[in-house]
Amino acid sequence: MPCKLWPPVNKEEYKGVWVYLEHDGTKLKDVALELLGKARDLAAKRGNAPVGGVLVAGTDEMAQEAIYHGADKVVVIVNPELKVYTPYEYANAIAKVVAKYKPEIFLIGGTKRGREIAAFIANTLATGITADCTALEIDPKTGDLLQIRPTFGGTQMATIKTPQRRPQMASVRPGVFPKPPRDVNRKGEIIHESVELNGRRTVFLGAEKRIERDIADLPPVESADVVVAGGRGLGSAEGFKLLVELAKLLNGTVAASLMAVRAGWAPHTRQVGQTGKTIRPKLYIAVGISGAVQHMMGIQESKYIVAINSDPNAPIVQNADYAIVGDYKQIVPLLIEEIKKAKGIK
Amino acid sequence: MKFVVLTKAAVPLSTAIRIDPKTGTLVREGVPLSTNQWDRDAVEFALKLRDRYGGEVIAISMAPPSGIPALESLIGMGVDKAILATDRVFAGADTWATSYVLAKTIEKYVPDYTLILAGEETIDSTTAHVGAQVASHLNIPYVYYVYDAEIQGNKIRVKRFLEDEGVDEYYEMELPALISVAKGTQMPREVSLSRKLNAREKIMQATNKELGLDPECVGLKGSPTFVATQTGATFPPRKRKIYQGDPRESVKALVEELKKEGLL
Repeated sequence: MPCKLWPPVNKEEYKGVWVYLEHDGTKLKDVALELLGKARDLAAKRGNAPVGGVLVAGTDEMAQEAIYHGADKVVVIVNPELKVYTPYEYANAIAKVVAKYKPEIFLIGGTKRGREIAAFIANTLATGITADCTALEIDPKTGDLLQIRPTFGGTQMATIKTPQRRPQMASVRPGVFPKPPRDVNRKGEIIHESVELNGRRTVFLGAEKRIERDIADLPPVESADVVVAGGRGLGSAEGFKLLVELAKLLNGTVAASLMAVRAGWAPHTRQVGQTGKTIRPKLYIAVGISGAVQHMMGIQESKYIVAINSDPNAPIVQNADYAIVGDYKQIVPLLIEEIKKAKGIK
Repeated sequence: MKFVVLTKAAVPLSTAIRIDPKTGTLVREGVPLSTNQWDRDAVEFALKLRDRYGGEVIAISMAPPSGIPALESLIGMGVDKAILATDRVFAGADTWATSYVLAKTIEKYVPDYTLILAGEETIDSTTAHVGAQVASHLNIPYVYYVYDAEIQGNKIRVKRFLEDEGVDEYYEMELPALISVAKGTQMPREVSLSRKLNAREKIMQATNKELGLDPECVGLKGSPTFVATQTGATFPPRKRKIYQGDPRESVKALVEELKKEGLL
């Protein structure tokens, strides 16, 4: 006998793979598009099931954009009470729409807001959820969703299933899956739903952008082919100047480890790793980064990893394609000089 | 005012972990456990609120009896009392079943709670689910990543920071409510030995006999999710060419390799 608090589920009624379409007020977040790509892939393995999206206080243009990226149907929640994000009210409203449309799988981007509402939605629907999946697959035998995630500080990979309950839910961090191509010939349906709120319990009072001085006028870490990252081993914010010079020379950008961000040497927007961004550049150069498992989780998709570290026993040295053991203050200027020579720059 | 802090007696990352081969879940029985370090921020936050507004701080945890020393340390920090929900039937719980037991423990033993506080996430599981799920079981509003709060009458105003957007946000909630406290923001106070004296007397244990929960709704049975397999993480193989010695020679060798791979 299953737990009586869980209403009975008729699995046959649940169809399709749906995605929560988070946006910033003007456009859909990249992670929503990435999830639509994954949703199409999973739906194909479930007998070409439909792909859907849930958008709160978004525009029809955003819904259309979701359709161009793989959605067949987008539900836009239009209640004016939900114009501004508050976790309790948003989570309740989204849960109502999901309960009505009954997708077999519901995916949420693992942004800060996404993580805040995902588990509440799952509980409201009396179903399970797996956080921060790094892979999603369909079990060929049962058709269940396999939710694969790192756990225990990233030292273990767990495959998690939700066999008895529907929908099967998972959150996924930005940058884990590639963004699908935009196809303006794709057609889909946009539905407006005014969801009723059972009273308001949270009020948004205001927001302020924190002014953070970036270390350089360089592209964001998630979009660059070459990423030069610095860690605690740099010893000071000053060390990043050399890294910026190297990154510019390689048409790349600069990133930082958790320790370097904590030390205040680089802004949080440049942090890579399990608690920062997941990246997949062609070339990743880690300078003064020891390579804790949490860091490796975020960079393991890099095509090539280069490590520059004074400690030959640092994990990153053992997990790199090329590692130079030595003082970065000596190595990086030499590297800049040699690359200039190789590129014929005086 | 009653401030309830959800704390997890976690397996420290330095410990060799054991997986139950039958359930695929982490073995916590008989393992030295310590309070999840991010929960100490939540405890510190609760203590500051108590110092400011009066009342008491109650730590609640679900763990095997090996979780008691972790609660003793929290008493040593200044927590007034602690409740340990502990029963063999709670083992193997996912976050739904864990948050259910925690919510029911609060309802039974601290029904007049003012505010529930949780750490941002745990170091061993890192799901950040349990806070929101306790809020869901109790149907109360909640805000995550809080670093500052002010209570006025039956309302709480909170400040939080969203790291990925670089934005500070301010919310007001009706009490009772739940907040998760942003990790690394509170400087948890030291454990004092004198405060820790007689800590055991301040810890109450509640088994499922006291809580009276349907055994089908707790532990592994009450978990919508289960771990099908768990294996050591592996990273893609790397070339592992390591250059030591003369820096200029090392750099030259690296640049040659990068050229060969078409990276320059």
